[in-house]
Formats: sequence, structure tokens, C-alpha cells
Amino acid sequence: MRLPPFQYLEPTNVEEALSMISAHKEMAKIMAGGTDLLNRMKLRLIEPAFVVNIGKLRNMDGIDIGDAETIIGANTRLKDIAGTALVNKRFRAIAEAAFQVASPTITNMATVGGNLLQNTRCMYYDQSGMVLSGLERCHKRGGTVCLAVKGSKRCFSVYQGDMAPALIAFDARCVLEKKGSTRTVPITELFTDNGVSPFAIGADELLTKILIPKPEGIYSSAYRKLRLRGSVDYPLASAAAFVSVTNDKKVTTCRVVIGAAGAAPKVIDGASREADLEGIAQKAYDHAEGVDNLKMPGAYRRKMVSVLAKRAIQAAIEDIK
Amino acid sequence: MNEMKKTAITLNVNNETYDIVTYPNRTLLEVLRDDLHLTGTKESCGEGVCGSCTVLVDGTPVRSCLTLAVAAQGKEITTIEGLSVGEKLHPVQEAFVNHHAIQCGFCSPGMILTSYALLKENPRPTEIEIRRALSGNVCRCTGYAKIVEAVKSLAEGGN
Repeated sequence: MRLPPFQYLEPTNVEEALSMISAHKEMAKIMAGGTDLLNRMKLRLIEPAFVVNIGKLRNMDGIDIGDAETIIGANTRLKDIAGTALVNKRFRAIAEAAFQVASPTITNMATVGGNLLQNTRCMYYDQSGMVLSGLERCHKRGGTVCLAVKGSKRCFSVYQGDMAPALIAFDARCVLEKKGSTRTVPITELFTDNGVSPFAIGADELLTKILIPKPEGIYSSAYRKLRLRGSVDYPLASAAAFVSVTNDKKVTTCRVVIGAAGAAPKVIDGASREADLEGIAQKAYDHAEGVDNLKMPGAYRRKMVSVLAKRAIQAAIEDIK
Repeated sequence: MNEMKKTAITLNVNNETYDIVTYPNRTLLEVLRDDLHLTGTKESCGEGVCGSCTVLVDGTPVRSCLTLAVAAQGKEITTIEGLSVGEKLHPVQEAFVNHHAIQCGFCSPGMILTSYALLKENPRPTEIEIRRALSGNVCRCTGYAKIVEAVKSLAEGGN
């Protein structure tokens, strides 16, 4: 499939990138690795007038592991996150998520920022024009119906990014810059939970950094994901768990975040003071949306969200031992 | 329909410099095959899943179907044509031939380049590392066993 026409812009620094997106706003799309954006363009799901390639901005790249906080540049390749020993040690769920996104040829290109801001997906939406021309226009395409849930007044497309659940499990925040101002928000606040427009980001804003606080005490984390093919697929259900314990191994925090279970990752039970496996699994099931709009049946995916929540907690606890 | 202008770009492919004038919406795969006639790089899925379009950019295997040609300027691009010297095959290519790791041959350029990059980075990979590195390259003929054997033969210090 060929790409639609566009004008190509290549800023040489962040300030220039901010000027470009400020000038073109909704008419421009930001490209980092391009692995997700170019596919959406090939399908004609989006046809931006301008593509702003920030992929070469090296000062948005890299991992700085500090005593109090770790800073990951939005342009950092997923392979570098998965391959950094200290990230694996301190933020295991984040490294596991990056490792599981796709095969190395994809993660050599794909960035953490791009994965975080990956649009929601649905089998009635992520299709070529030929397929879509035979379908009624759904909410996500500006219409008034949902083809996945007949009669629904809202969109049921699914957020399938791998990095967000893991980053949220660590209470990560991100830096959004625009011309003349900068704001730092928790990653949970990037999401609207509305499948039609899933992100609460202005068209003139650029995600530049991710900030992860260093957790206190003894802790570990894990990320688990369901997919058909181990090498490429988006998660069909996922869960990240963060567990911290006292010196005598009593759980002080157990935070679980589920993914591919709605239009946004969902935090289960905030920060429970015990790793109540069955209770959290039930809550994960209750919070998950299981709709027949991805490659596996919705009812199965919903059950697997609770299974993966348990497995992630168990893996984190096992790692602490 | 959005406006689009042709632009002059310079690509370094297999240590040769090519100056071409093209549209910004053309992928590296399209330019390699249609403009530079380097047809060793194959197009299959066109959406980054199968790995048949794999080329090396600054030594790293990437999908040329998801890389804009205009964005590949200033980088060293290696295609399958860049591995052999004249008629003499590269040892990775020799190993694929010797281990019958090629049937229809459509995945071979991607498989060989990915294996080449793996062995450069890690001269003695384990079988798990080989399988992980090649996990993004689909082969519909061999069942992968012969391909893994070919790479293992090099990892073990020659065939």
C-alpha cells in the first residue's frame, strides 16, 4: 500500500518542532519511529497535510537513571529500554513491556513516546478503505453507530499500547511541551477514556519526556500480555503489577494496571495494602471491557485480563523473594 | 488531496551515493526497488509484520516499508546487494546455501540481513537469541529450523 501525499518537515531541535506543530496544529502529525503512524496513513485512517519527523532529535532520546527520578526521552527506542540492565533491575515491568511490544526489527525503530500515544484500535476501524467502504460509518470515523456493540452510543475501540500500563504502575508522569509553555502530568491524565479521541493532548503539544519516580524500599514489578503471535501482536489483554514490601516481606503496596481492556489503561484498586490475588483479579475483571472487536473473543479477553493481573502480581512477588 | 512537492534527496546505499528527486510519501522500500533498481529487498505485507523488506540502517535492521526514504538521508543503508563482493557470497549467505535455509527465497534477504546484524552485535548468540532476533521475519517455506541451523553454524565459529 502506498502512502497518501503530505509535506515532510524535519525539525533540527525541539523548539523548531514546537513552532512547526504550533503553526499547523491538527493538519500535522508527529512521527517518531513511524511504525504505527505510517500504517495508519497507508490505510488512509489519517491523511495529514504535514508529517513532522522528530525521530532524529537526539536530545529527546536516552535514559537518565537518577537517585530520585529516572528520565526517559520520548524518542528512546523500545529496544534500548528493554536492553538497559538498570531499567530491568529497577523498573522490570517497564523493560518487560518494551521487550514484548514486538520483534527487534520493530523495536529498533519504535519509540516509547509513540507507543504511549498509540491510537485506539478496533477491527471495524483499522481496515483499508476498501473494507471500510462496505461498513457503516462508526463513531470513530465521525458517524453515529458502533459496529462492535450494536446500538451503542459510544465508541468501544481499545487502547493497545504496552508501555502505558507499566509506566502507570510506577506512577510515571510525562512532560508535554508547546511553544511558550511546558506542563507535567501523570500518565493517567493523558487518557480521556473516549475511544473516538483517546488523548487529552493539544494538537500543538509535544510529548518530550517521561519521568519515573524511584520507589521506596523493597519492591518489584512485572508485565504480562496476551497475544496470538509472540513476535508482533498488540496486546489482546494485559496487566502490569507493582508490589512493594516491608523488611519482613509484608506487602505495603500492590498496584495493578490493566491494558487492552477499554479505551484507556485502568488502575485497579489504587494502592491496595495487600496482594489479595482473587480480590484484585475479580476487580480487574469487573473493570475490563470485553468486546468482540479484536482478534480474540471479548469474553475470553476479559477473563484473561484477570488471569494476567494475578500472574503479574505473582511474578513481582516471586522476584522479591 | 494534500499538496506535495518533489524533493531532492541523497541516499548512501551499500557505500554508494545516489542523488534522486522524489516525493516525500515514498518509502525507502519503494525508492530502493523502483528508483535504484535494488530489487533484492522484497515487499510482502507492507505493514511491518513480515520482515521481507528488512534493510540495515546504520547497521541496525529496520523495516524499509515503514521508513520514509526522505528520512533515511544521512544514514548508511545496507541492502542484500551490499553483502556479497562481486560473485563471492558473504559467509552468512554461504551458510544459508550450505544449510538449505532457502526455499522460495522471498524471505531470504531479510533473514540474511537480520542474521548478519545479529552476528555483528553478538558473534556467539545462543539459539534463543537467534530465534528472538529472527522473530520479526516470517518464512512460509522452511519451518525455520534450517535458518536457525545456518545462523548457529556461524555462531559456533564456522561451518
